[in-house]
Amino acid sequence: MALFLLHETAAGYALFEAHGIDEIGQNTEAVRNSVSDLTRFGKVVKLRSFNPFTSALEGLEQINAVSEGIMTDELRTVLETSLPKVKEGKKPKFSLGVAESKIGSHIQEATKIPCQSNEFVNELIRGVRLHFDKFVGDLKPGDLEKAQLGLCHSYSRAKVKFNVNRVDNMVI
Amino acid sequence: GRGGMKGGSKVVVEPHRHDGIFIAKGKEDALVTRNLVPGEAVYNEKRVSVQNEDGTKVEYRIWNPFRSKLAAAVLGGVDNIWIKPGSKVLYLGAASGTTVSHVSDIVGPTGVVYAVEFSHRSGRDLVNMAKKRTNVIPIIEDARHPAKYRMLVGMVDVIFSDVAQPDQARILALNASYYLKAGGNFVISIKANCIDSTVPAETVFMSEVNKLKADQFKPSEQVTLEPFERDHACVVGGYRMPKKKKDA
Repeated sequence: MALFLLHETAAGYALFEAHGIDEIGQNTEAVRNSVSDLTRFGKVVKLRSFNPFTSALEGLEQINAVSEGIMTDELRTVLETSLPKVKEGKKPKFSLGVAESKIGSHIQEATKIPCQSNEFVNELIRGVRLHFDKFVGDLKPGDLEKAQLGLCHSYSRAKVKFNVNRVDNMVI
Repeated sequence: GRGGMKGGSKVVVEPHRHDGIFIAKGKEDALVTRNLVPGEAVYNEKRVSVQNEDGTKVEYRIWNPFRSKLAAAVLGGVDNIWIKPGSKVLYLGAASGTTVSHVSDIVGPTGVVYAVEFSHRSGRDLVNMAKKRTNVIPIIEDARHPAKYRMLVGMVDVIFSDVAQPDQARILALNASYYLKAGGNFVISIKANCIDSTVPAETVFMSEVNKLKADQFKPSEQVTLEPFERDHACVVGGYRMPKKKKDA
């Protein structure tokens, strides 16, 4: 059964496809090592599509939703155009690995794409995060950090500003 | 009159044993970092300017160990803080960003500091500080939920954690599982009181170290932050270290 991975970044949504990874060996040293080594990891995980955000504002809208575990219309479009079609009444022959279960259940509910989030998926996403700029040819080293910098300022500034009553969210 | 460390040519700055940290030698020695944004202080700290032989000036900022646990650990003789020029650092518990600004100086323009702080009050200062320092990525979120900032953070070389929460070992482990490279390092400041005030500090440190060991961390050293902080320790080590024995 094919496994796809959703990786949300500051620059856009990326979908990966994982081939022939044995789930049984997920926690072994061998799988961990193959994640660190791009020549090996690049053989099992391939970029399926990268869908950059068109503007800073769009990026902000996406992160506001993603951090709350919500699938936006934009994300839905990306998933439905890049992944195999889910036919009514038939069990899909693939699943989508996501970083967090809340967004997974939201995606599954709305699109019927079966989602999974677990330790094994997290290991693969660690690998994707580590090698991301090598997977996406258009991104030069440092480009993603620039996108993160721009997005975090608008995200964090909005957070601080929205708290008009200056009530501190201290954790006690 | 002029401040204590403004001695002009009388002050000599020498590199510290830790790459990216310096010692200003004047009337008194002081720990300093090279100011990434010359001409600007972050929290009214003193600055010293040194003239090179070729006439160019370099500005350093005094790093106060009473205000920064990382500085206290450095003066406490920690063997390695792993944070050096070019490092990518995830900083948990960034507060207003005073120590973050020094970490930003240390990693320099080729490094990155992802600074996470949950309190909006401190977060405001943090975001302001980061405006001038483009290697700081300020994130106003709860470090207990690293998935919330997964669009903002890449894989890092080092996690520095100063969250002062009873479950801080778990918070560090969770963040490491998302963002810390295999073979990367961690530095955690542990305030005994915040975890259990009913037992001796040493007992708390030991139990925290054991929690870390259970989560694929390999603690390698522990220093006390006395005399700068009471009942504080700083623990440093590696994450998912390769099992093979290294050649000496």
